[in-house]
Amino acid sequence: MNNPTDIKERVKKNIIWKSIFRRDYRNTVRDRAQAIFGNVFLHLHPVQVREGAVKLRFTWGMGGITFFAFIILVITGVVLMFYYHPSVSQAYSDIKDLEFQVPFGVILRNLHRWGAHFMVIVVMIHMFRVFMTGSYKAPRQFNWGVGVILLVLTFMLSFTGYLTPWDQLGFWAITVGTNMGAATPLLGYQGPFSEFLHITPFNDVRFALLGGSRVADNALLRAYIWHCVAIPLVSVILMFVHFWRVRKDGGISKPHK
Amino acid sequence: MANENKNNSNYRAYLFVFFSVVLLALTLWIVWDDEFGLRPWKNYQQEFKTLKHAQLEKEYSKAASDFQKSGDAQKLAALKAQLKKAEDLFNSNDVQEKYKKLNAQWVENHEHSVKNTKELQTARGQYLETEYYFTKTQKPEYKKKMDELQKQIDTIASRATVLQKQGDGLKSSLAPYTAGIADLQAEISKLESVLDEKKERIGTSDKVPVEIKQVYIKDIDKADRCQSCHIGIDGSKQISMKQPFTRHPASFVFLKNHDPEKFGCTFCHRGQGRATTSVVKAHGNEKHWDEPMLEGDMTQTSCLNCHGDVKQLRGAEYIAQNTELVRKYGCYSCHKIPGYDGFGDVGPVLTEVGTKVNYSWAINWLLDPKKYFSKARMPKFYFKQDEAEAIADYLFSMSGNTRHDVDYASAKPDEKLVDQGKQLWSQARCNLCHVTNGKGGNNVKVYAPDLSKIGSKVSKEWMFKWIKNPNAYFPGTKMPRFRFTDQEINALVEYIVNEYKDDDAEMKYTTPVEIKAESIRKGKDLILKYGCYGCHKLQGMEEMVQVAPSLLSQGVTFLKGEEMKEKIGAELSSIGSKPVDMLDFGKLKKSIPNDRLSYIKQKLRDPRGYRLGLRMPNFRLTESEINGLASVLYGFTDNNIPSRYMVPSRQQLDKIAGVPSYKFTGDFAKVIGDVKCTNCHSIKGIGADYAPDLTVAGSKLQESWIRKFLANPDVIRPLLQQMPKFGLSAGQTPQKVTMPKFNLGTQKVEDTNRSDVDVIINYFQQELVTTDIPKQIPVITTLSPEEQVAKGKELYDLKGCKACHQVGTEGGALGPNLSNVGNRLNPGFIFKHLENARKFKPDIVEPNYGFSERERIYLTNYLMTLKLNAK
Repeated sequence: MNNPTDIKERVKKNIIWKSIFRRDYRNTVRDRAQAIFGNVFLHLHPVQVREGAVKLRFTWGMGGITFFAFIILVITGVVLMFYYHPSVSQAYSDIKDLEFQVPFGVILRNLHRWGAHFMVIVVMIHMFRVFMTGSYKAPRQFNWGVGVILLVLTFMLSFTGYLTPWDQLGFWAITVGTNMGAATPLLGYQGPFSEFLHITPFNDVRFALLGGSRVADNALLRAYIWHCVAIPLVSVILMFVHFWRVRKDGGISKPHK
Repeated sequence: MANENKNNSNYRAYLFVFFSVVLLALTLWIVWDDEFGLRPWKNYQQEFKTLKHAQLEKEYSKAASDFQKSGDAQKLAALKAQLKKAEDLFNSNDVQEKYKKLNAQWVENHEHSVKNTKELQTARGQYLETEYYFTKTQKPEYKKKMDELQKQIDTIASRATVLQKQGDGLKSSLAPYTAGIADLQAEISKLESVLDEKKERIGTSDKVPVEIKQVYIKDIDKADRCQSCHIGIDGSKQISMKQPFTRHPASFVFLKNHDPEKFGCTFCHRGQGRATTSVVKAHGNEKHWDEPMLEGDMTQTSCLNCHGDVKQLRGAEYIAQNTELVRKYGCYSCHKIPGYDGFGDVGPVLTEVGTKVNYSWAINWLLDPKKYFSKARMPKFYFKQDEAEAIADYLFSMSGNTRHDVDYASAKPDEKLVDQGKQLWSQARCNLCHVTNGKGGNNVKVYAPDLSKIGSKVSKEWMFKWIKNPNAYFPGTKMPRFRFTDQEINALVEYIVNEYKDDDAEMKYTTPVEIKAESIRKGKDLILKYGCYGCHKLQGMEEMVQVAPSLLSQGVTFLKGEEMKEKIGAELSSIGSKPVDMLDFGKLKKSIPNDRLSYIKQKLRDPRGYRLGLRMPNFRLTESEINGLASVLYGFTDNNIPSRYMVPSRQQLDKIAGVPSYKFTGDFAKVIGDVKCTNCHSIKGIGADYAPDLTVAGSKLQESWIRKFLANPDVIRPLLQQMPKFGLSAGQTPQKVTMPKFNLGTQKVEDTNRSDVDVIINYFQQELVTTDIPKQIPVITTLSPEEQVAKGKELYDLKGCKACHQVGTEGGALGPNLSNVGNRLNPGFIFKHLENARKFKPDIVEPNYGFSERERIYLTNYLMTLKLNAK
């Protein structure tokens, strides 16, 4: 009973243990492959990678670093949400409180802000590398397309996050940005041909973005929901598609010798 | 897997160690910074605690030594010895034996009684339970049980009474044993409490936690953490003169009326109330924070947030004096400013200016008003010669069609007339308002023009008409209508024109030159562009202002009323809270600090400096005027302050309550519109504080005296000497100022057959009275009048009244001369005045002696005997 092997056996026979680990791991090719197949995180990763493809000077590691930045942003973002109210009267004070009052608020906010800038830069370098190495070519056209959408989503995350501090910078950035929306052909009230669709300042795409005809409470709320819920959700799904396709398309593209 | 090369992994290990160490160091630094680096207030609070501890310690040791000195210490020692003795006696064997025996009995009794009470409670509970079942079921057995229980309860209760009685008896026989001891102990603790309290205060102050001190005001969304560092700001004692530990200066005015718990600090001082990480940030002196902290007098700008009227507000003297500047320069003529409604009322009416001034003078004035009169309020517009001429042409063409000058330089004066005029000039006290050659003009608030060179500016004909009836030319002017005869006016004009002329004045148009239509049109455009009509009335007598037929044919028209309604400047109602990003620094973006206050000041200093094409003229303000005006403008904010903070002005309150503001009525309104009493006097809140307030003059003054005084202010002169309140700087000898002689009583008021003096006196007695001042004073019958007067005189001497008041040739000059007070004042006023002098004149210096009613009667009776017989 007190024999350690006995206890080990008992634990291993336990239904909880079994439900998690299913079966014993033996160092065989089959089990090694099974470990990858059976693990959602490792599952995304190819079983085998070409040696040349992981060379830093070829990939620059930019895709991975982008994902790393994204993870940091998610973690700091969630904590920031604990301290932030998306309302005109409180938003800016909350940012000030992060600076002055919240424990580790300064590092928290700065990580999020700088991390966001970092991610935008890195994701663009990643795209540049993919383009220069011709990795958009067949059979990777689809994944290039997914990547382009992810790039746009990253920009949108950055743009919507810009308004959340409710400072002059964000306020005017959103004013300018949504005014550009107002000049969209057909859908913006200032854009060409919009009169055919009876578009006015109160039913155009700008109105939809702002939840009103000027940058105010509703615009802040919408930016906040886009920033914290909708876009990250879509991004995560597409990211996993992106990684999955890397594997399915034969791993990271091979450098030309 | 792939990289199991040994060299390679060693290399990575070094790198890994290196970065791990860096990361660890960074993490530690982050933790340290978050705990201490970003929370400097912790150190301040610790330091403050040390300082406070030292002070309390000092207080304690002082109290302790006082305790020794005052003999309390010996008293305490004696008491303690007594206590010891009493205790010894109590502890002696035989006493203890008796005491213990009694005590044991009492304990037993107490135990019984406790037990009994419990039994009683149980029985009562059972009774209630049974009663419940009985009411529910109506079974007789329950009823029976209830009766039994009731009997039981009665027995227990009677037992309780017996036990209680026994217990009380035992207690009272125990009491004498310990009574003496308890008394002594009480006395000792009372003595010791003085010191113990002080000791305890040290303990409590040491235990105050180091934490953020925040005031949060929900409805204005302010979270002020200023007191986290300014920890002693609201304290009852000054702990240290070192910042940030001092108390609020003059807190008996500011904090007393503005509880920091309700107002916070940034409400008045601005700054960044939430910031706690550094002094610079907390005081708001960082980029992108638009509200730097306000200090010193500048803080008074915040009074304007809530106080509708700062004129009489204690602690708001600086801002009150500066709001006067807005009126003086008429900022509201071009800019919309809340609370300032005037329009076209700063400068004189210009509709007929062509009949008044010389054309050459008008050009010089337009080019640079300060050149003619160094205190001119009119700003410099930087007109070019042709622009000035165009404007003058437009103005002159409203009453003629020529440019013309009148030159009196070579005319021979009529000496006899001049002499008479000179006398009239001094009787009428023209210098009270007007400056001549740098003298006079003490009543600064009427902004009367300098007359030093008037002879080269206006025509004699105009001046005659003006003095005869100023309202005819300029309705609403502050110039009074003196009751001169035509002959007197002629003399006065002759004197003024000859005495005050500029011999060097250039007169180009002594031969009139016709005005060209083109120039008039240009002048009209300029007047519209620069909004001259904001300060000057240019119309109002349309029927009189007609274009000459010759000009009409050339397309000349004059501006109509509706064309001159718009204020041409930017609205200033929220300039004090305008985001700095919205201020246009233009050319000066790099050369002056980019904050709101600097912007406002620079704008006042050089109104057209920011960029080309700006229209605002230059008032050439002094630096202190610039600071003053800026402080007012800075207070015009659009912060949404809840109404609970608002302190409306008297006028606003009247408006809310629907009470019409006071207006003079009847014939008196005519007289006052003519004589302009309110230039100097204040009546029911209307007017200036230059001369005595007349609100209760009817109750205060005797009719005969008013009549004499109005007829001839000179004769009774020594009685009303007043030191001028304004224009008095250090080193200047105060001038004796008396009321001008208006020659009242010589004419009848328009449409009536009463003289103006009668009208004034009638109004005084009907309207300017108060029930607070009795007509008669109480009469004392026990003493003869002579005795009462004697007693009054005795009091007058005893209380040292003559230190300030003069009677005959004796006494001080600080208070009014009382030599003729018996002719001047009503006894009722004196009687009430002696009771509480501040009631009618809040800023009076007279002390309150706390006279009894009897004493006041004696004094009044005495004072009423002081009479000078008019010669």
